[in-house]
Amino acid sequence: MFYHIFKYRLKVLLRSKEMIFWTLLFPIALSIFFNLAFSGLRNQDSFNIINIAFVDNANDPNFSEAINSVSEGEDRIFNMIRTDLENAEKLLENDEISGIIVSDENITLTVNSSGINQSIIKSFIDQYKQVTSTATRILSQNPQAAADLPAEIATRISYTKSDPMGKSELDIVLNYFYALIAMTCFYGGFFGVEEINQIQANLSKRAARVNVAPIHKLKSFIYSLSASALIQLIEITVFLTFLIFVLGVKFGENMGLVILTTFIGSLTGISFGSFIGAVVKGNENTKTGVLIGVTMIGSFLSGMMFGEMKYIVQTNAPILSYLNPINLLGDAFYSLYIYDTYNRYYTNIAGLLVFTIIFSISTYLIIRRRKYASI
Amino acid sequence: MPVFKLCLKIFKKNIPVMMIYFGLFIAVSIMMITMSTPTDQTGFSVSKARVAFFSEENTPLVEGLKTSLAENADFIDIEDDQEILQDSLYYRKINYVLRIPQNFTADFMTGADPKVIKTSIPGSTSNVYVDLKIESYLNTARMYLDLIPGISQEKIKSQVLSDMAEETEVEMLRRDSSGSETGLMQYFFNYLAYTFMFIIIMGVSVIMLVFNDPIIKQRNSCSPFSTTKINLQIFLSILLFTFFSWIVLAGLSLTFAIDEIPNFNTKYYVLNSLIFALTSSALSYLIASLVKGREAMIAIANVVTLGSSFISGVFIPQDLLSEGVLKIASFLPTYWFVRGNRMISMLMEKSGPVFDEMVSSMLIQLGFAFGFFILTMIVSKKKRSV
Repeated sequence: MFYHIFKYRLKVLLRSKEMIFWTLLFPIALSIFFNLAFSGLRNQDSFNIINIAFVDNANDPNFSEAINSVSEGEDRIFNMIRTDLENAEKLLENDEISGIIVSDENITLTVNSSGINQSIIKSFIDQYKQVTSTATRILSQNPQAAADLPAEIATRISYTKSDPMGKSELDIVLNYFYALIAMTCFYGGFFGVEEINQIQANLSKRAARVNVAPIHKLKSFIYSLSASALIQLIEITVFLTFLIFVLGVKFGENMGLVILTTFIGSLTGISFGSFIGAVVKGNENTKTGVLIGVTMIGSFLSGMMFGEMKYIVQTNAPILSYLNPINLLGDAFYSLYIYDTYNRYYTNIAGLLVFTIIFSISTYLIIRRRKYASI
Repeated sequence: MPVFKLCLKIFKKNIPVMMIYFGLFIAVSIMMITMSTPTDQTGFSVSKARVAFFSEENTPLVEGLKTSLAENADFIDIEDDQEILQDSLYYRKINYVLRIPQNFTADFMTGADPKVIKTSIPGSTSNVYVDLKIESYLNTARMYLDLIPGISQEKIKSQVLSDMAEETEVEMLRRDSSGSETGLMQYFFNYLAYTFMFIIIMGVSVIMLVFNDPIIKQRNSCSPFSTTKINLQIFLSILLFTFFSWIVLAGLSLTFAIDEIPNFNTKYYVLNSLIFALTSSALSYLIASLVKGREAMIAIANVVTLGSSFISGVFIPQDLLSEGVLKIASFLPTYWFVRGNRMISMLMEKSGPVFDEMVSSMLIQLGFAFGFFILTMIVSKKKRSV
């Protein structure tokens, strides 16, 4: 019996283009848009060598040397062009450079706007001036230092040591993709809604027919649900493969747990859909509407449309981030990627399992032993 | 005009669905208002990085470091917890975590190899920026320590700080005049692209699905009404619907940016959106004649509107999109609508290169509208002959 129901359910579901579109093609399309649109966001705060123009009217060899030293080599800060003021202003006007350093009696900076690049140029000039001031002060206090001074000025010791936190770079775009996978898992709820429609006698003619068949309702429900689950798991695997190999989304090192998480998420999604199908009164359109609506709100709160939202919820209303299963799922991927420890990951997974159990039991209690006086 | 009346009836029936999308637009716009912080700048101001500063010792040297860093950094008060710090770094609430280990000052004064511990976003600009300041302070301090025998910590601090008070004069070449460029109206009109296209595609498809139903089509063919007349009336009702949605949405955009209405460029925003409305209705006419079935229609509407909005700079500013993406986007009318809005935001007079760019953006949109219309004609002609 299992094989029979399973096989025909599979065939029916695979032929429903609409279902496959929403649960697989739509997420893939969205991920492509994300990838196209967010690539710039990724580089927004990464350091690019700053283009500057240097107008040297004073011919000060010290400053010239100082500016050369930061405009050469691999880890240079500036790309410097020496030019005259007129040309430099033209470049600045076309936004080809961030600032003009003019060295006359005094060294000045000309910029177009305030910004971090401009501030870095200013910091650099400030420092040069400060060294001059330091040298004068030292000489006035200890004239014997004159011999050692040039060497001291030339020595730059690095006093910072980097202690990277966690194992990954902090790529802000990833969270969008994590929320998107969470959404996709919950779009698996379409299958849940559909399965309820096909088993509750008052919802479809087929269900009415199935109800009079001499098979236990729970059994037939579970058999056809497993066909749905199989399709959803295959789809989510395809989607995951697409994200990893085509778009290059990073998930950290623990691939096994990532796959496990998507599977648990899919099951939560399907049980969520069945729950909606059982609880919400009305026709299929209303149910799908509620499903999409709830999923969208959940995805929004977990940062799918606006990345910072997840952080805002987490810091201002932490309870909400636990009550939102989509956030739990997105956060599970995030914790796997960011943290060294698994505490937060396990909390998330435990939360998802609790939700799955609540959804399944409620669905069971609602759909069992329904009797209809008339349909 | 029975056909026209029928179309209006169909629209009326679908008002509840349409309301959802209007609601969506309002929600997104309200989010924009709360999020946006108008940058009102007249002179040069130094950027500040967000730094979490933890020190295990409190010595004059460290105090001095903190004082000098305060010029380029805002210190963020945050709990010293690994998870919280990681989250805050990920969401860029802080850019830099700086830790001064115990014995740092003692090591520094005795010339051992002291290090402050930093955690930052690798390769970020703020990282370079804060490093520059820290190294500068400590290197200057080192010069005093090395060259003035027996100098006290207090004295190092005060002298380094007074050295660092030396500041460079910064001139602004082009004063960013008029608040209009930083105004919000541009964004409200940009967001309109998403809602507008979606509503119009859905609205038009609602009508076309009814009329393209084979049985209704057959019934209509034997009515004493010529096909041209029917099409004309359908087209009229679509125009009315477009116009109505335009009034509602453009009106909402204007209401959201009510302070900016007196600006010179407001009328161009309105004009640009009207042109975009026409283009969208032509596009939806084309889609409706190509796609069969309500479900497929919703799918197409979602993919087309979301896709074009994402890559044309509706959700994310065009500056942040890569050149390749923008090249693809330039084959879409949405791109030219957003570009037009951007030109309008920079517009100051009725001539000049910015004005010309704006006009050409509008003309290109009209070109798209015309192209879609022609395509629809060809498609429907072909369909009829089958």
